Amino acid sequence: MAEDPIIIVSGLPRSGTSMMMKMLEAGGLDILTDNIRTADEDNPKGYYEFEKAKELDKDRSWLDQAKGKVVKIISALLSKIPQENSCKIIFMRRKMSEILASQKEMLIRRGEPTDTVSDEKISQNFFAHLRKVEVWLEQQPNFDILYINYNDVLKNPLANIERIRGFLGNGLDTKSMSGVVDKALYRQRK
Amino acid sequence: MKKIKLENELFDRVEKFAEIAGYSSVEEFVTHMLEKELSSIDESESEEEVKRRLQGLGYLS
Repeated sequence: MAEDPIIIVSGLPRSGTSMMMKMLEAGGLDILTDNIRTADEDNPKGYYEFEKAKELDKDRSWLDQAKGKVVKIISALLSKIPQENSCKIIFMRRKMSEILASQKEMLIRRGEPTDTVSDEKISQNFFAHLRKVEVWLEQQPNFDILYINYNDVLKNPLANIERIRGFLGNGLDTKSMSGVVDKALYRQRK
Repeated sequence: MKKIKLENELFDRVEKFAEIAGYSSVEEFVTHMLEKELSSIDESESEEEVKRRLQGLGYLS
């Protein structure tokens, strides 16, 4: 019998991954999170992170417990997932200017420098990174990918939820999912 | 157009490899090699900057 795939929510930080995690949780899916990083001003509804996922290059032993569940793994770490794992990936996209603005606020709150690289340069770097990841993803036979645009989810939640339902299969509570699309979180308009 | 100097021994090796690799001239071969190397350095710097940003945000340990 085929094993349940790992459902991964991925993308750049601040691209709407936490909102998608919450939507999937509301939809009735099991979430793999340790709640170590708790809700704060940047993510008032929580981060939905699993600390071990940040160390995928060192420890992959936990991947077995992720089967059939949803886990957040940033785009930079997807290539660390061994090929024997079957994965369904929801990859979040968002306007780069909004991602950078949101990241900058988060860096400030974390006491990290924000001026080491210009917005233009880091934007170019992120675009190059995304291109590389997307090309790599296309070559992975064990990965199914659905690209979801955060900005479009806010505008057209039902259509996007339907796409997610089609990708992950029936059984999702789509009404609860649509309730999660909280426009109050859309603070980084630019 | 700027010029650079190479040691004779290195130039001989470059000339030999340029011919073997099918380049039309030593200049073409050297230009291609330098562009390839610089592009690789750029890419590596870009990845390092992305990594530093992700660490700063707490998404990479």
